[in-house]
Amino acid sequence: MKDKPGAEPVVFVIDDDRMIREGMQSLIRSVGLRVETFASAQDFLMAKRQEAPACLVLDVRMPGLSGLDLQLKLSAANIQIPIIFITGHGDIPMTVRAMKEGAYEFLTKPVRGQDLLDAIQKAIASDRELRQDRQELREIRARFDALTPREKEVLELVVAGLLNKQIADQLAMSELTVKTHRAHVMDKTQAQSLAHLVRMSEKLKTPRK
Amino acid sequence: MEATRAKPFFAEPLRYGSAVAFVSIALWLSLILQVPFGNPFWFFFAIAVIVSTWFAGRGPGWLAVALSSLAVLYFFIPPLHSWSIKLPDTPFFATFVLCQVVANWLISWRRQAEDSLRDARDELEARVAERTEELKNANDALVRQMAEQKRMEEDLQVTRTELARVVRITTIGELTASIAHEVNQPLAAVVANADACVAWLSREDPNLAEARAAADRATQGATRASEVIVRIRSLISKVTPEKSRVQINEIIQQTVALAEGQASRNNVAFEFEPEPDLPPVFADSIQLQQVILNLVMNGIEAMSSVTERPRRLLIRSQALSAGQVEVSVRDLGIGVRPETMSRLFEPFFTTRSKGIGMGLPISRSIIEAHGGKLWAESDGAHGSTFRFTLPAGDGPAA
Repeated sequence: MKDKPGAEPVVFVIDDDRMIREGMQSLIRSVGLRVETFASAQDFLMAKRQEAPACLVLDVRMPGLSGLDLQLKLSAANIQIPIIFITGHGDIPMTVRAMKEGAYEFLTKPVRGQDLLDAIQKAIASDRELRQDRQELREIRARFDALTPREKEVLELVVAGLLNKQIADQLAMSELTVKTHRAHVMDKTQAQSLAHLVRMSEKLKTPRK
Repeated sequence: MEATRAKPFFAEPLRYGSAVAFVSIALWLSLILQVPFGNPFWFFFAIAVIVSTWFAGRGPGWLAVALSSLAVLYFFIPPLHSWSIKLPDTPFFATFVLCQVVANWLISWRRQAEDSLRDARDELEARVAERTEELKNANDALVRQMAEQKRMEEDLQVTRTELARVVRITTIGELTASIAHEVNQPLAAVVANADACVAWLSREDPNLAEARAAADRATQGATRASEVIVRIRSLISKVTPEKSRVQINEIIQQTVALAEGQASRNNVAFEFEPEPDLPPVFADSIQLQQVILNLVMNGIEAMSSVTERPRRLLIRSQALSAGQVEVSVRDLGIGVRPETMSRLFEPFFTTRSKGIGMGLPISRSIIEAHGGKLWAESDGAHGSTFRFTLPAGDGPAA
């Protein structure tokens, strides 16, 4: 699940219209981005994707699986990727639905090239950031997972703001033992300070976006 | 007719007058000729009677007989210049009178026969003329009726064409969103490709090959957009039906392209199975597009409430053995109830809220005007199939 170092960003274009697909592909390639095109949402779901910062340029209205269906499927499968929707006119109800599901951007057909490129650049940057966050989170979780049950108990109380003495009382152990556990926790989680430890622990608790 | 009937030659007083005149002439001739020849020429009286009877009729004939007899009695039977007669002369005089009477009778009989023959002939001629006149009148009336009927048929044709166009426009109206998509799509392709072209050209290392490819695609997109517009314009334009040799598969493809947006909005997938090498038909392509569009739109509509199975519209063309081409449009919709089935082709019968109920009747009249048939088949609760046939051929049917 790790990004390859310096993994090249990729733009996925899904549109049932060949000429639009080719035009967008050409446009996006011209600014040096990698592009993969798909004629349908099903094709996209079946394709193997390598881990890299990415964004999805998706036509709302397509035969078969529509853009909105794909969005729902991806979020159900917990696949996070910024989606730039391309809509025709009069698709307001669709727009609202997609917006609620967390669409990244909406562009109206015919899309101005620069608008599309700007949206793509921003979406990729956002995805890169998100990926870094998620990566960081995964690393933190891995470190926290390495704690023993006793250390986890101590951690809970430390971040709750209790003093060593209070922790010792609550867990019925000596203050020295608490200190030792606490040092292990700081060490294993690579926390630089108490504040850092609290922040990391909060991050783990907040549900994934 | 009676008025024109041939009368004896003279009017009544003239006829009797002429009898008197003939007898007078006969008397005069007899008296004159008596002097040199001595022997009286009584034959003149016979001639007077014959001429009178023939030309003036039976009545004047009798008058001539009477006058002749009196004249002979008076002038030629002794004693002369007296009305008396001696016994020895009686047989002679009686014979004379009898001859006169017989002559008059025969001539008048002959005359009558001839008259009635002439009357019969005249009557026959009159009848023939009358019948001829009647026939001529009847013929004129027939010609007028035919002209009237032809004019009515032309009027009907114009009305039907106009109605078909109105229905077509209504159908197009239902397709507006779909058509907007149809036009917008290629325009989106034009914009994307034109932008790509500019982008390739404005790079520090301009890539001409890429720019050219993008420009080509932009051109294609523009062409496609204009084709869509031409197709729609031909569907709504006011043109008189014009038959030509058409390939039904092409017509189906063009029509399906128009309705594709509508189908995708309704999550309907088209499946077109054209029979290759289908013989051409001689038909009006716009009207055929209208029929197919109507069937396709109905099919999409029939599946609007279907959620538990895929919404598929199967369009198939095939050649039938009897020189016919058949097109079927099958939906997997909710089907048609038997009681509805029989009313499907009635004008203004519709099950839709937006429909005006003229699509199928118009479609049927179009197909029938092309010498084909259009009918519906229900597949129970699993949809319905509409089929039409057209005679194959590349020219007007003999």
